[in-house]
Amino acid sequence: MTADMGVAVGGMTLRGPVLAASGTFGYGTEVPLLERRALGGMVSKGIFLRPRAGTPPPRIVETPSGMLNAIGLQGPGAEALIRDYAPLWASWDFPVLVNINGESVAEYGELTQRLDGVPGVAGFEINISCPNVEQGGLYFGNAPRAAAAVTEAVRKRTKLPVWVKLTPMVTEIGVIARAVESAGADALCAVNTFVGMSIDLNAHKPRLSFRTGGLSGPAIRPLAVHLAHQAARAVKIPVVGVGGIMRAEDALEFLVAGCAAVQVGTATFVNPRAIAEIHDGIAAYLASRGYSSLADLPRYLPRD
Amino acid sequence: MYLLNAPITAVREVARGMGVVSMEAPEIAATVRAGQFVNLGLAGVFLRRPFSVYRVDGDRIEVVLKAVGVGTAGLLSMVPGDLVSCLGPLGGGFDLTAGPRTAVLVSGGVGVAPMPLAAREARALGMRVTWVHGARSSEELCSEADGDVVIWATDDGSRGFAGTAVAAAPDGDVVLACGPNRMLAAAAERWPEAQVAVETYMGCGTGVCLGCAVPLKRGGFDRACKEGPIYRAADIDWASLPAHLPYAITA
Repeated sequence: MTADMGVAVGGMTLRGPVLAASGTFGYGTEVPLLERRALGGMVSKGIFLRPRAGTPPPRIVETPSGMLNAIGLQGPGAEALIRDYAPLWASWDFPVLVNINGESVAEYGELTQRLDGVPGVAGFEINISCPNVEQGGLYFGNAPRAAAAVTEAVRKRTKLPVWVKLTPMVTEIGVIARAVESAGADALCAVNTFVGMSIDLNAHKPRLSFRTGGLSGPAIRPLAVHLAHQAARAVKIPVVGVGGIMRAEDALEFLVAGCAAVQVGTATFVNPRAIAEIHDGIAAYLASRGYSSLADLPRYLPRD
Repeated sequence: MYLLNAPITAVREVARGMGVVSMEAPEIAATVRAGQFVNLGLAGVFLRRPFSVYRVDGDRIEVVLKAVGVGTAGLLSMVPGDLVSCLGPLGGGFDLTAGPRTAVLVSGGVGVAPMPLAAREARALGMRVTWVHGARSSEELCSEADGDVVIWATDDGSRGFAGTAVAAAPDGDVVLACGPNRMLAAAAERWPEAQVAVETYMGCGTGVCLGCAVPLKRGGFDRACKEGPIYRAADIDWASLPAHLPYAITA
């Protein structure tokens, strides 16, 4: 028996619950070893309206069971994305959400307006949680009013699905979750990287040129499962779990903890086939337990 | 690009603390070009680590490395039959299609890594190869060399030229260089047209993480794993490229 892996989440119908996380899959044109049948969807590398060079090296450093990154949202800007990538996405058999960024509420709105209706753009993931930019990013993610304002600005300019990627760097994630839900988000993604720092004991300064970076990988997984669970308890819209998923069992933890789908990110760096292996592993788990569909998976989700 | 569980076939020492690891990777051996690299999964560290392909022998590829941490120490202590996860070939290679008459291959320390393949390709194109290899001392020189002319250089003068490999090298129609970034910066001063293989931290090796940023003279960054790791020396903004990467703490 093959379990039905389809899932409806945040205004989208996906053929599987595993998506490629933003910033770990480029614009979908690389990672050639992945079997695309396993992709429920993909979130593009974060994009700003205008091109950005990103931060100087070193941009990444390995840490116990994970890595810190400070890429600084390097990207070609909206016009290049529309010209070079969206036409490809329009022909693909899975949806592509664009991870959108801005230095102001108005800029998020302007970017949404530019991308809305472009063939190939299936939805938006609002990034209010990037720790590696001087302006915007995280600032919008830890103030409920600002998070809601950005969400509203995007919501007003598109009828496409709007997902909001939350930062873990908050006191109570449920407060932010409810704020963006009220502002019109279709789904939440929990969580982005944790802010971390690593020090070079020869140079007596941070190893990353940006000083701090976003911590990802299995080091953050239990923290992320907890935060995704807390977010899922706080809202009625679906939550997409993300943070340190390396194997199918890790994804299943997020799903049982109340998530509708998951995103796999850093694992792809280590294993270009990770998404396919996780997708297949979830299907095998469901079949081995006699569940005919992902919807039958028991969830642990007491409501707040 | 292939992802293989490659069986180790041999490990040999080529300098103090520096070893060559051979593994069976037929698909990679059949397609790799000089300057390209493989990303190996090492026990005890999280991310893969990039290694230039050192030599190809039939179905086998070789990498050369020093033990600088648990991952590299573990790789050097593997025995035939052990498996290592091998992703490659990655990146672009040296451009040796032009057909000039002399190639000068300048390397420092483990920067020797891409040179045996480069020597083979250069010779196949009819070039005369000058091999220049430097290290801090004679014990740290890679004992394997492959050139019509071989020049050794040591910082302490214990073998060959007393000084750097760059200082010891003659000029040539094509200059290829690999070593610490500060050595490559010196090579860039002398030979702006040299092809250099840069050293960066690397995340994915496949172009998606943007972690291996190389600062360019024209502004902006590109990816050592995709557009690199071989660059025209004059194209790199050397002042913005970290001169030394403390691999010891991370690999």
